[in-house]
Amino acid sequence: MPHTRWETRRRLIEGDATPWLALLVAARVMATGVAIGLILLEPIDSALLVLTAYGAISAIVIATMPRVRASPLAWVLDTAFALACVLASGDWRSPFYVLWLTTLALPAVMLPLRQAVWLAIAAPVLYLSLGLFGGPAPGALRPITSETLVIHLLLPAVLVAGLAYATYALQRVQEERMRRERLAIEAERRRIAWELHDSAKQRLHAAHLLVSSLHGRVGPELVAAVERASVELESAAADMDTSLAELRSPLEGRPLHAALEARARELVTDGGPTITVRGEAPTLPPLVAAHAYRIVSEALTNALRHAEATAIEVTLERTPSGLRIGVADNGRGLPETHRPHATGILAMQSRAESIGARLVVASRDGQPGTRVLVDLPAGAPRPQGATA
Amino acid sequence: MIRIAVIDDHPALRAGLRTVIDAEPGLVFVGESAGDEESVWPLLRRTEPDLILLDYHLPHGDGLQLCHRIKRQLPVPKAPKVLVYSAYASPELSLPAALAGADGVVDKGLAARELFEAIRLVHRGERLLGDPSQTVVRSELERLEDRDRALVGLLLNGAGDAEAAEALQMEPSEVQHATLRILGTLRSQVPTGTG
Repeated sequence: MPHTRWETRRRLIEGDATPWLALLVAARVMATGVAIGLILLEPIDSALLVLTAYGAISAIVIATMPRVRASPLAWVLDTAFALACVLASGDWRSPFYVLWLTTLALPAVMLPLRQAVWLAIAAPVLYLSLGLFGGPAPGALRPITSETLVIHLLLPAVLVAGLAYATYALQRVQEERMRRERLAIEAERRRIAWELHDSAKQRLHAAHLLVSSLHGRVGPELVAAVERASVELESAAADMDTSLAELRSPLEGRPLHAALEARARELVTDGGPTITVRGEAPTLPPLVAAHAYRIVSEALTNALRHAEATAIEVTLERTPSGLRIGVADNGRGLPETHRPHATGILAMQSRAESIGARLVVASRDGQPGTRVLVDLPAGAPRPQGATA
Repeated sequence: MIRIAVIDDHPALRAGLRTVIDAEPGLVFVGESAGDEESVWPLLRRTEPDLILLDYHLPHGDGLQLCHRIKRQLPVPKAPKVLVYSAYASPELSLPAALAGADGVVDKGLAARELFEAIRLVHRGERLLGDPSQTVVRSELERLEDRDRALVGLLLNGAGDAEAAEALQMEPSEVQHATLRILGTLRSQVPTGTG
């Protein structure tokens, strides 16, 4: 995929470009200085001096404007200008030759390797033709020695190929390092997930079993405490499931509505109610998003279990005060009498509290069904107990 | 009186189960195993439980394959009921659980009274395997080869190993091997991806 490679390369160059750019600008300024010095030894030509100022100005532009730096049009203009200077100086053994060499550096490091190789071939050919048809004697090369010619033609090829290869190698090293880091992170995530699942979660299940077995065996003064402890343990196990799911395929990175759409698809059964998810969620802190996800999942499960609905609709809408998530079904609505073991609702309530959200569970006005509303405040506070 | 053996590799969970089962009238905890071959069979022979609570994710192998072997090696009337106890009782589990001959699948997140209810129902002869949607069944079956799919169809429709073997012109032992292999294929990964 040349495009992505191109992007990586570009990012690599843009990423930590300071020392590299300093070198390029220094070379350019030096080349310009040498050119000026050499010109001063000869009779002064004002046009040449103006051209020479280009070296300094272009160096500043390159150093300060990343967009110009990355534009192929700028490279072409730059190289053409340096060649024009060589041409104007009337001799291919011109002091502007070094300035021209520095114009090859940017394309050499930014072009994909294959194109850079073509540039390494094209540059000496271009210079050779300039020497042939430019000066000092159009139609003939007239080198002082054959070494001058060889150096003038080899240097651009070596420079471009060398820079391009060095950049390519650097890029490969960087890609490899990123890949290793990613793999290490994934392995670590898997290890943590496994430990959570293998040890902590099993203990939670055991504790939940023990506490829930007290139900109906304790005096009335303790019923509420046992019930609450049972709910908390159940929620903790579910929290752990959320964390496990996040470690596996993090909700973080996937927006809440996308995660909910996926959940809805999982829950739909043949002959069961349809589940639609409408609206989008802004980026939320990971734990807030995880709790919100969990609340909506619980609401969906409740609706599927108890409502006898044919359609369930999840809506996400931004309100002036934050985000409102609604889960509405067209089922039979809430029972008249309060169900003593509506642990699902208790768990949802406790979750909502922990992220500073407001939860309302009510029958729908004027139409059949139940509606669960979660109001997440904008800039929802960090969940209680979260230290990170 | 329902005599229950627990096969689970987590000591904390085994201890918890022992405590709650012993405290529940009508249920007796007769023994436990971490799921390794060396302890499972002696336990089952010694205690002859009415019902086994069997962990789905065993470290040395697959709970459903073990279930299949238990059902084959301890034939009716001695065969205990097997309740698969899973941390992730997803709908996908229903199909392989039925294939393995399990009598029910329950989630480890259930409260004690719900677990007891499941135990009593299964002991009475009911099957708690859930009813996976067509979509789930289809996507599970797609993971199998054509030949295996035919076998799964026969076995799920109540054909015994011998009948299935005859219909597919296989040896009965081949049917058993194929079933174990299919269970391996259908084994859903623990969400952590470590198996």
